[in-house]
Amino acid sequence: MGIHAFDPTRTVDHGITRVLFTQEEIETRVAELAAQISADYAGQDLLLVCILRGGVIFLADLMRHLTLPCNLDFMAVASYESGARSTNHSPRILLDTREDILGRNVLLIEDIVDSGYTFDHLIKLLKTREPASLKVCSLLSKPTRREVPVQIDYLGFEIPDEYVCGYGIDADELYRNLPFIASVK
Amino acid sequence: MLILSYCPNFPQRLIFNTMSKLKEAIKQHGYETILDHVLINEAQLQARIQELGAQISQDYAGKDALLISILRGGVVFLTELMRHIHTPHHIEFMAVSSYGVGARSTRGQPRITLDLNTDVKGRHVILVEDIVDSGHTIDHVLRLLQTREPASLKVCALLDKPTRREIFVPIEYRGFEIPNEFVFGFGLDLDEYFRNLPFIGVVKQEYQ
Repeated sequence: MGIHAFDPTRTVDHGITRVLFTQEEIETRVAELAAQISADYAGQDLLLVCILRGGVIFLADLMRHLTLPCNLDFMAVASYESGARSTNHSPRILLDTREDILGRNVLLIEDIVDSGYTFDHLIKLLKTREPASLKVCSLLSKPTRREVPVQIDYLGFEIPDEYVCGYGIDADELYRNLPFIASVK
Repeated sequence: MLILSYCPNFPQRLIFNTMSKLKEAIKQHGYETILDHVLINEAQLQARIQELGAQISQDYAGKDALLISILRGGVVFLTELMRHIHTPHHIEFMAVSSYGVGARSTRGQPRITLDLNTDVKGRHVILVEDIVDSGHTIDHVLRLLQTREPASLKVCALLDKPTRREIFVPIEYRGFEIPNEFVFGFGLDLDEYFRNLPFIGVVKQEYQ
């Protein structure tokens, strides 16, 4: 599957401009991250907490490379302000974890860290529940957009301040299924 | 012998020594100790999901399908399937849990703990599930979604265990029909573990 795979009329609508990371580049990087995580948590249990919805493809690929016994959970959050890409306030929890994270090794899985507000709030919230450890794994980071510092323990790629889509990340809810990451107008 | 379903709550229904034996085995040796045999390997999964994706792409051309996945097991299948659907589509997630303790596989009515972000009215909805077992959960979700008047509503299930069915479920897109064996991997858990395995395996009798 390649760039031909999406509907050309939609492509024009959403203005996909260029491919930032190819399928091969993503696959390689995801495997590297998984190897690193497997090594770092060797001999321990790991609870992956994926933030819906953008993180799911990254999660599904990453977890299949992990050689650890791991559990899986999800959280869904929404920001109080509307606007697809900016988050300036603490997020509302729409879906909380099912698992009790007390004493667990928790790894938050996210597609992209932008301003950092959502993540900062989520980390603070989860820390009140006293996990044994809490780390962050993000596929993408836009450091130039950061407004609050977030420590990303496992990062796929740094990207410039551009709108992106593909590999789980949507452009107006479409193109999450693209196997590559592209820049959108 | 205890008959386990794939439900997330089943550990609560296990007798204690089976559970600790299982946990111990997982911690010590990983999945190899528990695996009786691989039922569907990675290549078979990929090939079949590609076929399903092609079929859906064809059937839903120009229809802007809405794929709904029920957390948590269905997510791996969904992410693989959507990558093989070459027409524009949306994804949504629902989380359900049942009233009472450890009762998801029974006739307990599921409670929606995470609802959809979008209105399904007039939409072409495909409910994407990892496995259809007794059929009760999916039946409830289907009936719920039907009240919201989608233009169409179909089921796409990776695995179908027809011998376990207690209520009819119309499965439009079926990955594999499997015998009544306890399976894990590719999103399906064994005591919450092994959802990350890239294949579907059968659990050894002694750990069931």
